[in-house]
Amino acid sequence: MSFSTMLMQLSSGMVKTTGIFFWTIILSLPLGLFVSFGRMSKNPVLKNIVKIYISLMRGTPLMLQLMMVYYFPYLLFGMNIRTFRFPAIIIGFTINYAAYFAEIFRSGIESMPVGQYEAAKLLGYSKSQTFIKIILPQVIKRILPSITNEVITLVKDTSLAFSLAYMEMFTVAKQIVAKDATFTPFIVAAVFYYVFNFVVAFVMEHFEKKLSYYR
Amino acid sequence: MKKYVAILAAVCLAFGVSACGSSSSSSASGSAAASASASASSSASSSGETETSEGERTTFVVGFDAEYPPYGYMDDNGEYTGFDLELAQAVCDIEGWELVKTPINWDSKDMELNSGSIDCIWNGFTMNGREDDYTFSIPYVDNSQVIVVSEDSGINSLEDLSGKIVGVQAASAALTLLQSDEEGGQKALADTFASLQEFPDYNSAFVELQAGSIDAVAMDIGVANYQLKTRGEGYKILDEALNTEQYAVGFKKGNTELCDIVNKDLEELTNNGTVAELAEKYDISDLVCLEAE
Repeated sequence: MSFSTMLMQLSSGMVKTTGIFFWTIILSLPLGLFVSFGRMSKNPVLKNIVKIYISLMRGTPLMLQLMMVYYFPYLLFGMNIRTFRFPAIIIGFTINYAAYFAEIFRSGIESMPVGQYEAAKLLGYSKSQTFIKIILPQVIKRILPSITNEVITLVKDTSLAFSLAYMEMFTVAKQIVAKDATFTPFIVAAVFYYVFNFVVAFVMEHFEKKLSYYR
Repeated sequence: MKKYVAILAAVCLAFGVSACGSSSSSSASGSAAASASASASSSASSSGETETSEGERTTFVVGFDAEYPPYGYMDDNGEYTGFDLELAQAVCDIEGWELVKTPINWDSKDMELNSGSIDCIWNGFTMNGREDDYTFSIPYVDNSQVIVVSEDSGINSLEDLSGKIVGVQAASAALTLLQSDEEGGQKALADTFASLQEFPDYNSAFVELQAGSIDAVAMDIGVANYQLKTRGEGYKILDEALNTEQYAVGFKKGNTELCDIVNKDLEELTNNGTVAELAEKYDISDLVCLEAE
């Protein structure tokens, strides 16, 4: 296989990798925020259910979770899962990453001093106003470096989609390696991942600078 | 802040759309995971037909390991091809089906087949010892499991493997054979090895063989021939084979209706010379066991 064809194939895999990446980010960040609310809830039932969920998501391998999500509808209901491959991957990544993001959100939210809530209450802010206008902006600022960590991990974790035979970049690289019996596709794939993560880190750093308005 | 949200939303949308767009367009280039979703509407109905009538079938979803040359792999143009896939295409041409090539993870082949993700496993699939688990077509290739070693390893027979580390692909027929203590099984031989090392793919196994961390690799002869041809000098296949066996197309247990159609077509393709032609193209003429009447 010529080098340009290899690049073409890996690029088409890269498009799918970015697809997984963006869908997961869009869905798991908001979900993570809501999970963190559940985790901090005063209702013991809700709180414990969320605790078990987070514990399961962090305590089992992501690859296993992906396979469970994909085969679950068939194993339980005997459904045909022919068109379920991509949704399964997105659901699997989302519920896993939401658990990690939830804990990051919680660390940020719980780090806010009680005095701010009291002051906001005194100034007549409602609970939701306090959270959205006062707490959340500061939380985002504080947790951004941890979020960057997870986001970069996600870029590399997308390669786990190979376990469901989804044609993302790593799966394609493996297939070309099998055909040509050389390691070149792996090196090219490594460069692709690195460049992607370099861009992610750059963008996140830009956001951090934008948000450091009090310093 | 609103501006950022808007920009983020726009970027997300762009990527989301491009991801979807690519999955429908790349089905033509043989990217099967995507084409499975592209043909969503048609396959949803055809899966029901599996149980009722084969007459209305429009697609034929073949599951294969895309890291298994010469039977199924990615060619120089990035298209999935191979002896088995071209044969499947020939069957589809006769029946007027659309061939959907779905690369699968070999470890999950049973799940893919039973759940209806694929209609059959057609990829150098050994039938011997698996007869109870699948409905098989007529065998089309006489395969044997062989041992590949480095040329200068000094290993010349199966006895020489005693105390050596032998590699094998996970979930492969070679592994089953080396673990079977039934008649024809090679567990007794495997017990003389220092260890039996499982690999996810042949590339890793060959790299370790080259690096000297394992002494031999057990695999199908067709694959061994391809690997030796691609990798050049330095390896040899032991004359003594572990066994002889056959390849067949594997269908979900009980799906005889679809199996009968494929059998009929395979006979037709043998008689009109297509099979021989393809065998020559992929250099496995001496392995194909279908004979024209």
